[in-house]
Amino acid sequence: MGNKREEIHRAISNVSNLPTLPGVISKLNSLVENDRSSIDQMSHVISSDQTLSARVLKLVNSPFYGFPGRVSTVSHALILLGVNVVKGLTLSASIFELMEKQAVGLWEHSLGTAVIARFIAKELGHPDLDSVSTAALLHDIGRVVLKVMFVEDYQKIQTLISARDATMLEVEQEVLNTDHAEIGSWLARAWNLPEKLIEPIAFHHSVERAKEQKTVASIVHLSDVLVKGYGFGFSGDEFVSSIQQAAWEHLSLTDEKVEKIVSALEMELMDARSFSFEVQAG
Amino acid sequence: MSQKLRIALDHRNPEEMEILQLRLQGKGYQVIPLNLLKNAIGLLYLDPPDLVIVDLSTEIAILQTFIQDLKRESYFTPVPLIGLIPEVIADRMEWEKFPLDDFIRLPIVYAELFNRIALSLERMKRVFDNNPLTRLPGNTSIQRAIQLALGQEVAVCYLDINDFKPYNDVYGFARGDEVINMVARIISNAVKPYGEKCFAGHIGGDDFVFITPLDESEKICQKIIDHFNMIVSDLFGEEEKSKRFYIAKNRKGEIEKIPLLGLAIAVIPMTNPVMNHYGKVAESAASLKKLAKRSNGSRYVVERRSS
Repeated sequence: MGNKREEIHRAISNVSNLPTLPGVISKLNSLVENDRSSIDQMSHVISSDQTLSARVLKLVNSPFYGFPGRVSTVSHALILLGVNVVKGLTLSASIFELMEKQAVGLWEHSLGTAVIARFIAKELGHPDLDSVSTAALLHDIGRVVLKVMFVEDYQKIQTLISARDATMLEVEQEVLNTDHAEIGSWLARAWNLPEKLIEPIAFHHSVERAKEQKTVASIVHLSDVLVKGYGFGFSGDEFVSSIQQAAWEHLSLTDEKVEKIVSALEMELMDARSFSFEVQAG
Repeated sequence: MSQKLRIALDHRNPEEMEILQLRLQGKGYQVIPLNLLKNAIGLLYLDPPDLVIVDLSTEIAILQTFIQDLKRESYFTPVPLIGLIPEVIADRMEWEKFPLDDFIRLPIVYAELFNRIALSLERMKRVFDNNPLTRLPGNTSIQRAIQLALGQEVAVCYLDINDFKPYNDVYGFARGDEVINMVARIISNAVKPYGEKCFAGHIGGDDFVFITPLDESEKICQKIIDHFNMIVSDLFGEEEKSKRFYIAKNRKGEIEKIPLLGLAIAVIPMTNPVMNHYGKVAESAASLKKLAKRSNGSRYVVERRSS
């Protein structure tokens, strides 16, 4: 059992590329073709895709470019890398061959969580909305790693979840002796991403374990639960967990606050939904 | 653990490619094959090598673009580029179109290739004018660029960072270097889209020079300032950002409020007849930058004096 965990941990250092949805690539390509498109437009498209965002952040935080562990948002990454690098990135981005239902579901779930996390962070007066929404966008990146590199295990997990009506985390622990949150944090660390992204990825299912970034981890956790509950996208199982006590306490949540957020969900997710339609249309 | 030197390799002939790859690996190099010329630049951006070898025996036109693109990106100028050239074209190479750092005739004499590789890497370290930190061109290139700019429809801009020294003292030189590096990237990304006439150089420390088309100069300065102000948020903690200052001791050991970092830019139009040599430009920049530094935050000032 322990071997699987080690195997995944070892394999993480060789992950250099994660697949991106074809619709996202074609949108980005048309922006790149046009010399007048701005950093803002480009970062908007890149920020919709968890794997592309992760790659941009990996690049800017790599020792070659000189800012390890410093840059946590896509727009800052683009300012420092420049448009040419993004061109290179899209040229060599591998894409999902088929637009699998699963892939779109996970992509939508990540996008929705990012949108809601930004909204909640704003409501709570958090000073760094961009980093919070990036952390939320990347929270399930470990699942992408599993899907791409450990195809058999990934399928086995999916089968067990539906056969037993068990939660994703339980099954992952049983099959892998680790889970997507930990795997995601390994990747983020191997790619020199900043702590303010690593902790929320690592602890979005166990907020109480976060140290420096408890607030962001709590916001990501809350958004994850709400987006799942709302039924936007598909993160891996149907089970909607309750909001953790640690997050309630840390964010000083009240029923009123949560109600306000829930009632705003629809509006907030509208743009994300129409963007998703656009991307699926190619 | 010291990392293996990484060589990106493009060879037109798969069999010879395999042999070359094995020989290089035998010498302890790590080889990154560049099979798809169309994506090669993209792959290099994502996974930068220490040295590049390209085979010029076929598809010269594509290779010419590839080589020029590679050498135009300031990050890659210190990465040696070695061409493999067949005997027949070696005598009539147009080197201005193929800015290689060295070449080897085909068929390869391996002992020579290994020597050239080692020499190229050493030479780059020795003679490179570019600033080792930011990899932007240094003073020799800056002086040349300004001399070429005299009388042209361009603006020479001098930039430095306000309150950089206390930042360096308080947060440490590693963080200071990061700031310098970020400014370098912001400047070179801002001028790059404007083509050949543009230039970005690093004088040293927190002093930079860049050259822009005259009619775009103010727009570019504003963009650099906007981008820097965004990036500042990665350089300070939440507390400093909300207060807009941090506390440090000045040279006399007194506690002082230091404002967050900003940029001061002096913009000097080269169409001004007074700007008739390099020294004049530098002199004007020095007095103008004092003006730019008078206000808090970032600012650019354009030279309008004609005497």
